Amino acid sequence: MDSRLLIVSSLLLLCLSGTTCHGSVLFSSLKRTLSVHASPKQGAKLKAGEDKITVTWDLNNTLPASTDDQYKKVKVKLCFAPISQKDRAWRKTENEMKRDKTCQFTIVDRAYDSSAKTEQRFDWVVERDVPTATYFVRAYAYDSAGAEVAYGQTTDTSKTSNLFDVQGITGRHVSLDIAAASFSAFSVLTLFGFFFNEKRKARAGK
Amino acid sequence: MEEPEELGGKDVEFVLPVDSDKKATEFRLFFLAPPHMRTFHLAWLSLFSCFFSTFAIPPLQPIIRDDLNLTDTDIGNAGIASFTSSIFSRLAMGPICDLMGPRVATAMLSLLTALLIFAFSLASSPNDFILLRFLIGFSLANFVSNQFWMSSMFSGNVVGLVNGFAAGWANVGSGATQIFMPLIYSLITSFGVASFTAWRIAFVVPAVFQVVTALMVLAYGQDLPQGNYSSVKMKMRENMSSKEGLFEDLFHGLKNYRGWILGLTYGFCFGVELTVDNVIAQYFYDRFGVNMQVAGTIAACFVFANCFSRPFRGVLSNVMAKRFGMRGRLWSLWIVQSVAALLCILLERTNSLMSSVVVMCAFSVFVQGTSGLTFEVVPFISKRSLGVISGMTGSGGTVGAVVTQLLLFSGSKFSKQTGISLMDLMMFFCTLPISLIYFPQWGGMLCGPNYIHSSSFAEHNYHLLA
Repeated sequence: MDSRLLIVSSLLLLCLSGTTCHGSVLFSSLKRTLSVHASPKQGAKLKAGEDKITVTWDLNNTLPASTDDQYKKVKVKLCFAPISQKDRAWRKTENEMKRDKTCQFTIVDRAYDSSAKTEQRFDWVVERDVPTATYFVRAYAYDSAGAEVAYGQTTDTSKTSNLFDVQGITGRHVSLDIAAASFSAFSVLTLFGFFFNEKRKARAGK
Repeated sequence: MEEPEELGGKDVEFVLPVDSDKKATEFRLFFLAPPHMRTFHLAWLSLFSCFFSTFAIPPLQPIIRDDLNLTDTDIGNAGIASFTSSIFSRLAMGPICDLMGPRVATAMLSLLTALLIFAFSLASSPNDFILLRFLIGFSLANFVSNQFWMSSMFSGNVVGLVNGFAAGWANVGSGATQIFMPLIYSLITSFGVASFTAWRIAFVVPAVFQVVTALMVLAYGQDLPQGNYSSVKMKMRENMSSKEGLFEDLFHGLKNYRGWILGLTYGFCFGVELTVDNVIAQYFYDRFGVNMQVAGTIAACFVFANCFSRPFRGVLSNVMAKRFGMRGRLWSLWIVQSVAALLCILLERTNSLMSSVVVMCAFSVFVQGTSGLTFEVVPFISKRSLGVISGMTGSGGTVGAVVTQLLLFSGSKFSKQTGISLMDLMMFFCTLPISLIYFPQWGGMLCGPNYIHSSSFAEHNYHLLA
């Protein structure tokens, strides 16, 4: 029973490690054909829920016009810079696109029009669930099967330039502070009330 | 509140049959009869709320870690901190129960830690997170008062079973929270509340629950079948506690090597269970990409086995004891814990979600069963120092949790998978010392009883339970 399980597990492991087992796409196989720009410059500090990011993207104009014929959809995402991934395994960069956790927030998801040769643009207010961290912007192009085929990003290959910060909301509100304080006071008062009552009964009993 | 009863005065009518100490000799699970069964239900419910609150944090960890900008190191340190505090609080709880009675001790701890859970809603930095998890961890000391309270209310022939049910059902709190906290969070976010505010509001629920159970304990509970500590006569209290005093009992208990061995093995069954409670939701979330609600539900399955596995291991132990005596109890403890270790190895090797869940459930049954079996042996080590031995074993559990969390799951040194496989190897090797436990009148795993010395053994005032 154990050896059969071991064989099955090993087969599964081999299968998953293979690149073409389920056709899972690798980031290293994607071509950097899109030219992406975002409004925040290097070191800019944005506030979640308040500030806006304007992203623009189009095909890199040094490439032939037919390069993007396959592209059917584009997703522009907010991605963590290496400094915000450090010691945080849930934001790890993996080569296998299915397991990659670098880009967790979608700015815009729309159809890619390869006939329109103009720059695409989108304004996005940084959402309130974006945490405090350092980011860059990346766009993925998808084919008709929904698999990534190309990308573009605002930073360089080593992800060191053109990074900006977002200050997330704390999530705290004055009303919550008041509620917590009131409940806590109630707990403490009840405890003291109980001790006082017990002492009073003991004295009355004597 | 109950009126105080005088010992040696008129015979009070109890619903359950009682012995000479007025402790119940029968355990009827679905009764609410005061004082015995009512106390049982109050005790397990208040400990349930403590587990519910302490383990409310792991299922919401994916949101909290982003809000407070935590790193893996911070999360690991907080997990360790939450167990470290309960080591000391569990050791201290025994003497506190002796002093104030288990009712007041339980309620006081619950109310004070409820304060901290309200404060947790206000956390805004990694240091707040670690500090609050440390302080909230004190609430797990209610385990000691829970077991102490049951031992004060129930007689020797059923106390093992009662303790098993009380502890097992209370432990379910740490599973219930893994399901309910993500659901409460989803409900709040469905009203359009931002995620970073929603988790803070969600924490009001476990805190209020804990306050309610504490108040119920104060209003409806009593320390002893005869009444509360404050109203029971001094003479009776002297009869109950050891004549030589608290320090003698403490020293007596600490000298007993069996207590230390059980502390070690409990560290690697209950300790492992605590650590897994902390990491399992994140493990499934990160490894298999399931969402928070599903990860929470899977984690909850791990804990729900407590509902039946702990109490019924108590039954298994009784059956083994009837046929093979203490040797049967020791053998069943070793076998069940070793199987748990092997299943843990298998958990790390499985790669599909479904088989992982199945193996995890099997692992949970065995590891929780071991916890139950350990406390089946504890009452036999020393009646006089029962509190101390229980405290040592109980603390051993949390020491084990701290050690495994510290060595294997803090920071990014090991992936969670490697951590799990190393943990189960440690578990297997730390189970072997059970073979060293030897009772002269009952024997040990490898040796039979030594009848020649058993009578002088009794003279050493061990007063072991039959």
